[in-house]
Amino acid sequence: MNKGWNEFDAGAILFTFNEKVGNISEIHSEDRPYSPSSSFTASVSDWRIEKPVFNKEYCIDCQFCWIYCPDVSIISRDKKMVGVDYDHCKGCGICVEVCPTNPKSLMMVAEGKDEEEVLAAWPQKDQEKNNG
Amino acid sequence: MAEKMELRDVEVWDGNMAAAQALRQAQIDVVAAYPITPSTPIVENYANFLANGYIDGEFVMVESEHAAMSGCIGASAAGGRVSTATSSQGFALMVETLYQASGMRLPIVLNVVNRALASPLNVNGDHSDMYLGRDSGWIQICAFNAQDAYDLALCAFRIGEDHGIRLPVMVHQDGFMTSHTAMGVRTLTDDVAYNFVGEFKPFNAMLDFEKPVSYGVQTEEDWHFEHKARQHNDLMTKVHPKIKEVFADFKKLTGRTFNLVEGYHMEDAEVAVVAIGTAVKTAQVAVEKLRAEGVKAGVVGIRVLRPFPFNEIKAMIKNLKAVAAMDRSSPNGTVGALYNELAGVIVQMDKAPVMNNYVYGLGGRDITIAHFMAIFEDLKANAKAGKVQQPLQQFINVRGPKLSFLSQE
Amino acid sequence: MVENKKTKNLKEFSTSADRFEGANLLCPGCAHSIIVREVLNATNDDLILSAATGCLEVCTAVYPYTSWDASWIHIGFENAATAVAGAEAMYKALKRKNRLLQPERVPKFVAFGGDGASYDIGFQWISGAFERGHDMMYVVLDNEVYANTGGQRSSSTPIGASATTSPAGRVSYGEKKEKKDMMAIMAAHGSPYVAQVSPSKWKDMVKKIQRGLNTEGPTFINAVSACTTEWKFAPEDTIAIADLAVDSLVFPLYEIIDGHELNITYRPKNVIPVKEYLAAQGRFKHLFKPEFKHILDEWQVRVDKKWEQLQRREEARI
Repeated sequence: MNKGWNEFDAGAILFTFNEKVGNISEIHSEDRPYSPSSSFTASVSDWRIEKPVFNKEYCIDCQFCWIYCPDVSIISRDKKMVGVDYDHCKGCGICVEVCPTNPKSLMMVAEGKDEEEVLAAWPQKDQEKNNG
Repeated sequence: MAEKMELRDVEVWDGNMAAAQALRQAQIDVVAAYPITPSTPIVENYANFLANGYIDGEFVMVESEHAAMSGCIGASAAGGRVSTATSSQGFALMVETLYQASGMRLPIVLNVVNRALASPLNVNGDHSDMYLGRDSGWIQICAFNAQDAYDLALCAFRIGEDHGIRLPVMVHQDGFMTSHTAMGVRTLTDDVAYNFVGEFKPFNAMLDFEKPVSYGVQTEEDWHFEHKARQHNDLMTKVHPKIKEVFADFKKLTGRTFNLVEGYHMEDAEVAVVAIGTAVKTAQVAVEKLRAEGVKAGVVGIRVLRPFPFNEIKAMIKNLKAVAAMDRSSPNGTVGALYNELAGVIVQMDKAPVMNNYVYGLGGRDITIAHFMAIFEDLKANAKAGKVQQPLQQFINVRGPKLSFLSQE
Repeated sequence: MVENKKTKNLKEFSTSADRFEGANLLCPGCAHSIIVREVLNATNDDLILSAATGCLEVCTAVYPYTSWDASWIHIGFENAATAVAGAEAMYKALKRKNRLLQPERVPKFVAFGGDGASYDIGFQWISGAFERGHDMMYVVLDNEVYANTGGQRSSSTPIGASATTSPAGRVSYGEKKEKKDMMAIMAAHGSPYVAQVSPSKWKDMVKKIQRGLNTEGPTFINAVSACTTEWKFAPEDTIAIADLAVDSLVFPLYEIIDGHELNITYRPKNVIPVKEYLAAQGRFKHLFKPEFKHILDEWQVRVDKKWEQLQRREEARI
């Protein structure tokens, strides 16, 4: 991307898409013609120390994680939580905090940890919390 | 649909009315403005046109000049023809946004009725505000009278809005001497004027919903220099050819000639003054008198201050023996800005004329034919001696002991 | 205009296709982007957006990336309202002249600014735009501090907060002035719709955004934006802190219609002591020293008084 002075749009303007688009509020990201200028094409995965792992088994699709994610990194389609977008997740942990299930359906784990192992060792229902 | 205005071939207009009529005829989409003396009548005249059905566009009376240019930037980025007017303190308040407008490459036309800058407060003409804008990345074109103010405002849209240019344009006129002095202005009919300016062709418009665009992004050390370099390159290489093309088309249409630099008796001149604005016209009268006395005198009028017509000036002054740079703004601690610009030209000449500097006309102080006659006496002496015979910089028509600086004795 | 978007419940709302992108440079856990997402997702209408210089702007449009999927403009710190007002004027002009490129598409105009850009340096520009009556919405991302430049006080910074230009110290409890009442000021402009929102109460917020967008004229939204960096709490607690703000009534949720009709839109079932809200944030830590106990006590009194005033105004129906 290290372009010379003569190689970009004058006025330092940036176009989000490569092609003409219709009403973008009705087109999900996978169907959009993003240009390289959209931060959608960038990654902040290296910001993370911890990452949220999603366990579908306990998820009730309440969408709290979707609405409170600051980084558009909870992928929800057709009213279902699908997973985490690890290119855009900064590892803030809000999704885990707002998750209402018991046990939680999202858990923060060290960035390098193997997801299968995490899922295999998922915490049990917190009886104390349930009784309280 | 706006009504057309019936104009006589020659109307008695001052510079403000001339500029306002040009804006009306260009069918601006958005004017966002704030009144300030002496450019207020541009805004008032425009409001009157609107009140009487001659304007279809939006007229937004904002709360400050900063907001005026901010609104112009938003409107221009949205995608349409935009213009406003200001002077002096208002121009100074706008300065932040001037850089933003040019950096975003938005072809806004700003009519600047030049006026002094406080303090002390002064409502009259000088070029302090024009000089303040000279590094802002705008094209700056200078009118010498009301006719110019009309003609050049029409040309400005054609120049700035060209998709190869996309830069904002200031059209300068002198406060009161041009803005409030009526003359017979040759007019174009509404249709002819609009056809000359042409329809606005949208370019990277925010209102193109099929191509969402971000304006005004941040560029840090890895990108900023390239963007500034791009803008400077376009100013240095693309603008002059476009201005010449538009001036040529305008001449075809009206017979009226404009050049990057206006020479008056410069073909064989040996001594000349270089000036901007109404002083050019006064100097021309002095030159007529001198010519009658057999003095080979001339006048160089700077029509385009930015981009500075470096090579055109160099060619025009190549036979001069002595030249004076006329600065109508207090340099506050150095030689005048125009002197400095011309010095840059002169050091590149094989046979350089000697040059001195006059500071004149601050805050609306007159410069008369007699003053120019005296200046030409200095120039004749300098030409004869082959070096400057006075202090390099002289203040003229200021009360008190003779004020001059940088004696070369 | 697109039909009013269905946002009855969160599942329905979650079918939205965001027009704001990740991999922006906002801090992990930043409330700004939660607010922006709720605003943009509240409508399917086309949007023309502006932002004032500040965290949001500087983190979402750093060359060569933009995080905006709708047209967006930033000019300076003080003029986001005027930028979008200029665009709105151009829309009106081109509509009248039949020169819109896609005449069937009717946009909403929204400006975003922080409290520094809105309460302080850009106040005049907002006031002018509201007086002129542009059809636009102005959204304040109110984190009560100049966060972008590292935590200097603004006129939105509340009493007792430690900011870098009003730091708490041996002899100072931090900021000395009461937070500016921007809601009252904007209502006094005669704005047809003024509302205070919290992104943690999403349904209340989205409803207000929709009402604001569908109201002709200039509408004003003050959104509490809990700032993990400057309020000093852990990034995962952003929503919890925002909830504390509204449940302690430090940030009451209400709206003012046509400059006078005030409605409280959320009444906490259990009002939380202000102390709990303050204790959750590092910027108020020093207030828990014995010598500053009076500031803590005054806080509760002030919040109670304001809540009482709001209720009276609501009852008065004037």
